[in-house]
Amino acid sequence: MFLAYVEINITEVALEDFETLLEGSAKAHGHLCPGQVIGVRMAMLGCALIGLDQPAQLPQIKSLIVYVEIDRCATDAIAFVTGVRLGRRSLKFVNNGIMAATFVNLNSGKAFRIRARETSREHAADYAPGIEDEREQQLAAYQKMPTDVLFEVRAVVVDVPYSDLPGPTQFKSECASCGVIVRDKREIYKNGQIVCRICAGETYFKGGI
Amino acid sequence: MQSEQNTLPQFVSRKIRVEEAVGTTLAHDITEIRPGEYKGPSFRKGQCIQPEDLCHLMRLGKRHLYILDLDDDHIHEDQAVLELASALAGPGVTFGSQPKEGKLALKAIYDGLLKIKVDALVEFNLLADVMCASRHNNTPVKSGTLLAGTRAIPLVIERNALDRALEISHRHYPVVAVKSFKPAQAGLIITGSEVYEGLIEDRFEAIVSAKLCAYGATLKDTVILPDDQEQIAAAVSTFLERGVDLIVTTGGMSVDPDDVTRHAIRQAGVDEIYYSSGVLPGAMFQLAYRGDIPILGIPACALYHQTTIFDLILPRLLAGEHPDNRDLAALAHGGLCLNCHTCRYPDCVFGKT
Repeated sequence: MFLAYVEINITEVALEDFETLLEGSAKAHGHLCPGQVIGVRMAMLGCALIGLDQPAQLPQIKSLIVYVEIDRCATDAIAFVTGVRLGRRSLKFVNNGIMAATFVNLNSGKAFRIRARETSREHAADYAPGIEDEREQQLAAYQKMPTDVLFEVRAVVVDVPYSDLPGPTQFKSECASCGVIVRDKREIYKNGQIVCRICAGETYFKGGI
Repeated sequence: MQSEQNTLPQFVSRKIRVEEAVGTTLAHDITEIRPGEYKGPSFRKGQCIQPEDLCHLMRLGKRHLYILDLDDDHIHEDQAVLELASALAGPGVTFGSQPKEGKLALKAIYDGLLKIKVDALVEFNLLADVMCASRHNNTPVKSGTLLAGTRAIPLVIERNALDRALEISHRHYPVVAVKSFKPAQAGLIITGSEVYEGLIEDRFEAIVSAKLCAYGATLKDTVILPDDQEQIAAAVSTFLERGVDLIVTTGGMSVDPDDVTRHAIRQAGVDEIYYSSGVLPGAMFQLAYRGDIPILGIPACALYHQTTIFDLILPRLLAGEHPDNRDLAALAHGGLCLNCHTCRYPDCVFGKT
């Protein structure tokens, strides 16, 4: 198996202009693509809607949680622009397979879900008429397309579970079966015992138990 | 609740300039009036002032505010209720991070059986400054179902009062929990010569299958047998040998000479057997075990009543519990189905002891 290792120097960025963010995002992700454009624009719009202009810097870095609904190129762009990270618990992955993300301001409670419209593909030719190649056309068009053509935006309410918040671990349980420590209320109460998900049978692998 | 006078701590409030208010906690409501449009509180007592609130406060003509100035011995209700919920919520229970007026809702993380330690809940509620109200113990719940609500009652609670509530919760952990259902495979034995000979069409299989499916269990196999003790006993043994997690028998639970199913189960060889329950419908229910494998005897009432003893016991068995004769008797208090025109079980009194 070939393993590629790319060291990415992710610096904390304030919301800069679109071109600068797109260039940085493409570099961090590894290539420039229509998904990068969608992700950067989605992140810039999401942050603006919830009143954050420096999401990757203190103190705003502690105010933002983003729920992404897809694990494709746009996700990396969103993480780059906003500074949210899985390891910081500020990036939540909801495996819906939808090009959408919800931006939550933990302080104000404001939250907006932004979904990329599928119809934006059909409109790409209107905004980049001279380009034949479909991918190149989308890449150019998505940069010019008006927000309401590219995105559907909805104000939503997200009741972020207390156990999902960033910060020190609040909840720990010891698996009664294997003894592993389970954090953040991910344990299961099965047959009268508090056990980890692996011992409860919720495995994504075979063997090794 | 204690009947003594409310012992609200004498917390300190302090006057500050609006410009200095970010991060502080309001000690009073602030009313906003927009003629012909809105009149009501725009800011509430206990609310933490955010940077974006300053302009709004200025627009309302506010130049100074009274804020709560709390020391370590006095806890704001919203912080207090996060601690209460953290202590009360056991496995399978979650709650939000944004309390409102010192209140939080506890919800189920996954489908399962709600377990409430009722004595602990009572002990918790005997404290004056905290409360927790829950749904009934042993209620089957779905992911996201509201299980309980807890709150810190005064705006500011003393640290030692809060600690007493936390100590009770920790000592009885988990006070509120959800036991997951196991994806059991069940064998069904439908008894009755009239069904076996085709005089009556069976309706039990669809009923039992639907009720199993509702809790994530499946019907592995079904056999239809006449009222013959030997054949029924042999079928029970066969299912046990095949390794099913649960055996359900229907019919033959009464005292008529042809009702032999309950005797057949005993003949098959069981370790425990309990006949009759304090439930209507479902008095002639039988529960037996070979080891940990339950063998249920469902009386014919389950054909005619939408909700019976079967609905009360099945989720407990699928949650890995091992009810005995005392549990069957304890169902008597609340074990009377009211036969409502539209059945709302489990959102009703049936089976709530």
